[in-house]
Amino acid sequence: MSLFKKKRSSRSATPVASYFAALSKAETQINGIGPVATPALSLSSSVTSSSEDTILHEEDMEIDNSDGLALPAHPPNSSEVFSTVHTEFGHCSNGDYRYISQHIPGTPVPAHVDKDPPYYILFSTYISYLILIVLGHIRDFLGKRFYPSAYRHLVPSGGYAPLNSDFDSFYTRRLKTRMDECFSQPVTGVAGRTIQLLDRISPDYNHHQIFTGTQTRALNISSYNYLGFAQARGGCADAVEAAIREHGISSCGSRLEGGSSDLHVLAEGLVARFVGMEDALISSMGFATNSTFIPALVGKGCLVISDELNHASIRFGVRLSGANVRMFKHNDMGALESLLREVISQGQPKTHRPWKKILLLVEGLYSMEGTLLNLPAIVELKKKYKFYLFVDEAHSIGALGPHGRGVADYFNIPPRSIDILMGTFTKSFGAAGGYIAGSKALVDRLRIRGHSGAYAEAMTPPVLTQVVASMASIMGVSPPSSASTPQQPLEVQPYHHPGPAPGSALPTWLSLPPSLADGGEGRSRLRRLAFNSRYLHQGLNKLGFITYGHPASPIVPLLLFNPGKMNMFHRLMKDRQTPIIVVVVAYPATPLVTSRVRFCVSAAHTKEDIDAILRACDDVGDVLDLKHGLRPGERWSIEDVCARALELVHQ
Amino acid sequence: MSSVEGLSTFLASTLASVEYVFSRIPGSAVLVRYVKSSHQNDPERTILEVILILFAIFTLLQSRTRANPKHFIKFEQKEIDELVDEWAPEPLAAPLNAVEASDLAAVPVVVGQNGPKPTLVRQPTKIIANLASYNFTGLAGKEIIKERAIETLRKYGLGSCGPPGFYGTLDVHMALERDIADFLGAEAAIIYSQGFSTISSVIPAFCKRGDIIVADRGVNFAIQKGIQISRSTVRWYDHNDLKSLEDVLDSVEKERKKRRGPLTRRFIITEGIFEKDGAMIDLPKLVELKYKKKYRLILDESISFGTVGRTGRGLTELYNVPATKVDMLIGSMANGLCAGGGFCAGSQNVIDHQQINGPSFVFSASMPALLAVSASEGIDILRSSPSILTKLQQNIRVARSILDDLDCISVPSHPASPIIHMHVRKPSTPMLHPASAASSGHSLKPSNPASVLPRDASTWDWDIEAEERALQQVVEEALRRGVMITRAKRLRGQEMVEARPSIRLALTSDMSVDEVKKAIKVVAQAFKDVLRK
Repeated sequence: MSLFKKKRSSRSATPVASYFAALSKAETQINGIGPVATPALSLSSSVTSSSEDTILHEEDMEIDNSDGLALPAHPPNSSEVFSTVHTEFGHCSNGDYRYISQHIPGTPVPAHVDKDPPYYILFSTYISYLILIVLGHIRDFLGKRFYPSAYRHLVPSGGYAPLNSDFDSFYTRRLKTRMDECFSQPVTGVAGRTIQLLDRISPDYNHHQIFTGTQTRALNISSYNYLGFAQARGGCADAVEAAIREHGISSCGSRLEGGSSDLHVLAEGLVARFVGMEDALISSMGFATNSTFIPALVGKGCLVISDELNHASIRFGVRLSGANVRMFKHNDMGALESLLREVISQGQPKTHRPWKKILLLVEGLYSMEGTLLNLPAIVELKKKYKFYLFVDEAHSIGALGPHGRGVADYFNIPPRSIDILMGTFTKSFGAAGGYIAGSKALVDRLRIRGHSGAYAEAMTPPVLTQVVASMASIMGVSPPSSASTPQQPLEVQPYHHPGPAPGSALPTWLSLPPSLADGGEGRSRLRRLAFNSRYLHQGLNKLGFITYGHPASPIVPLLLFNPGKMNMFHRLMKDRQTPIIVVVVAYPATPLVTSRVRFCVSAAHTKEDIDAILRACDDVGDVLDLKHGLRPGERWSIEDVCARALELVHQ
Repeated sequence: MSSVEGLSTFLASTLASVEYVFSRIPGSAVLVRYVKSSHQNDPERTILEVILILFAIFTLLQSRTRANPKHFIKFEQKEIDELVDEWAPEPLAAPLNAVEASDLAAVPVVVGQNGPKPTLVRQPTKIIANLASYNFTGLAGKEIIKERAIETLRKYGLGSCGPPGFYGTLDVHMALERDIADFLGAEAAIIYSQGFSTISSVIPAFCKRGDIIVADRGVNFAIQKGIQISRSTVRWYDHNDLKSLEDVLDSVEKERKKRRGPLTRRFIITEGIFEKDGAMIDLPKLVELKYKKKYRLILDESISFGTVGRTGRGLTELYNVPATKVDMLIGSMANGLCAGGGFCAGSQNVIDHQQINGPSFVFSASMPALLAVSASEGIDILRSSPSILTKLQQNIRVARSILDDLDCISVPSHPASPIIHMHVRKPSTPMLHPASAASSGHSLKPSNPASVLPRDASTWDWDIEAEERALQQVVEEALRRGVMITRAKRLRGQEMVEARPSIRLALTSDMSVDEVKKAIKVVAQAFKDVLRK
């Protein structure tokens, strides 16, 4: 960090200087007090060698805080030590900005409601699509006659049918291309609290993108980094480095053909304990977890009941399985029950034989709506209708519940009242791949019947280690009962869900820093995420926006409706003093009219970051006429929202 | 009397008010004029239009998810309750039987780094050779790759936390795509985050309902699943038989001409080196055929990429066929480069199309940065040191020279294939068996392209279970002597054609010739000891 010090002297921007003054003061005091004095509220760590590490880590970069992203809003006081890099995981020591994510018993689970905008918005949205479609067809009609070369790949040529017909690709060419700047934006570095964009421009209306060679740091409210484990520094990254040295990069094959390692066995044991199931199985890709294991669960003569908004990977898996499928209205328990009554009484089509099995496929948290599964109602229905329950916790695992154990933890329902729990490691754990958990008999059956076991590459050691390290940080690691007793094998160790991870569930070479091992930091991350989610959600509502989803959901969709506003919203957010990058989604990922912005809140965000996002939305919302949720008189001003954040969250 | 009068006045007044409201709606006059004049010109048309409107309303009101109403039985609520109470589902998963459980327990589990001489869990013998894991070019143990991976970790963290469309595309992903395209000599490439899911996503991205796929009967499971999900029309040709392929292509063309159907997309799907038996296709002939018949070629090089050719570019390098002649070339970075994920290389159009239409590309998180960098580094190493491939091929030759002399097994794999499959050879010679004698001649009528089953499937007389048990004994016997090998694991009951049980060796350049000789001799001895019992 010597380079860093040099820069410190060369820079004279006042906030930077004052920040470091406070920082060094804090540091000397800490050093004076010694490592015993660890404050209760901070993300304490015994690593105090260089707190400057926690500001910026790229040595070739000037510290420029003009965007307000590089430095925390408040310099740390004497009692705080941060072990994370602020641009990856924001510094926030205010213990008030925490909330516990749990369902209050006795309160109803809010159903998914489509909030409608004024009619003129709906009308103009339809008109917009109409104009886009008409213009698109006119351009195609004229283009084919005047510029045949540009259409060559869309018409039969030389005896080959086109790879993609002009009709099939119409939406992509004529509608999506117009807003291509919102999609597939390449980035570099860690997808943490902030992210580095590789700047690009398009000289020809998005047909080509040219990189300018510059980079922009932006506030990242788009990555699935719920607990902020996307980090290049810290205990988890250190563990991954150790794993690479110890285990190499590759597992060298599929699980059943020489690609299994002790790390897989350990990780599967830990995952099973984390979710509270008997056993678990890990797959190297989240999408493949659904697409290759669902066909091993059901087949001909079975019925799959699927929520209409289930993820593509579930649909892919169901289609491969050959089972019959029926869909029900999104998260609508009434519709589900009447469908269950119909299908059980009718039996299989034509033959009316009873179904072999009925499998209900639902998601814990829906990725485009932020709806929370009504698990209590489903568990009740399950008792009566005897279907098997498969919950895809891709987004909810780690992100919901007082212990981060997902939707069952949130509702305080025993996880074993669900038959199959599936989830991914991409989101809350900052890794990749997925798991499927259930009874031992089920998981063993999947090991030999699932497509992945025999044919797909096993998960690689670095990814496994990230899973183990981040999961153990959320759980905390229970200290060994006594040093003299020999370590028991993992299977026989008692475990009470949701408790800390047994020490033997971790590889011997892996050592987590104390703040991670005692679960303190994990807990703090869970609570920061819960606070940030509620704050953004309620804040947007109070400002007058139409949002979807449950207030506890870290996914916060903000409705835009008009397709033209998507591009504008994206651009206006990105071009601010503090650039903010957002995900905009439209048809076909959503219904035609309800184009939206989807925010993904993270524990890595500070309260000030959420303030900045709310301020930006407030400005942009006025420009784009987006505040249709509340009448002007009922809305709060942005200053009120920021000042009364605690009140909003605890509502 | 008065009540009727009242009713009629009520009706009249309602009608009048409806008429008034209707006339106030802008444009209603036009509608009325249109209906009047059309009725005047052609009264039958009015009836037809009314019927059409009623039909449209009826269709709209139909529940779309309701099963076929013809077979719908109406029940009372009480009856439904009874049926619900009576219904007893099958168990979700049957517990493993003894054989399955022992098979699962026998799966080798490596402690620490996997490589040519790994340590195994619960295995007292020292392992002298690993011929089970995929480490063809020995990249798994390269320190330089580990160093580069750690550097990447320190800059990018581990996960990318997003799909490629939404801030999940990293500069290292784009660099890897360029590296692959350059390495193969293709125009562009796209990377998927799992090798297995690559081709089963590429196929449905291009092949739709109504399109025609002509595929080899011996294709791997991932291709089978891709074909299944594409819902295209499939025609099968005999395994690795280009004559049969040509016949099938001709018959498809004849069929189309007969039906006068429109020109649809047509694809040939096959593998470079078959995962199921290690056979290799004749790429130049295949390419010639596909151009002649105007088909597009989807070629799965998951096994051959990184293992054949002078520097491991795969079949295109081995046969000196430009990669641009293969429309979609699929490979696996997990197998060939000891990293992770898979890729598809092709023209820019082909790649762009997948960025929006490849299901497991669009809906999956992108690959961790350090795996992408490891793959790029692997390509660099292969490119700069052709000796690795020379050594791998030498080891393969050594292994084959011993195995080909063994009379209790048969080896269907190509002599250059890095994976070597070995079947049990029947003690009775095939010629004495009447059924196999008949099928060995080519005089038999050609197989039915619409069925995936080969023409001689009815004559297959091997006992899958018994052979699997015998081969498993060979595996365990070899392991006792320190050589780790594996049966080719199959999903029995889920494959389109049940493959014959085999032991699959995976050779590596990371062993010396003597080590390979020693290990293969152990395997051969295990075969002799078990099969001659």
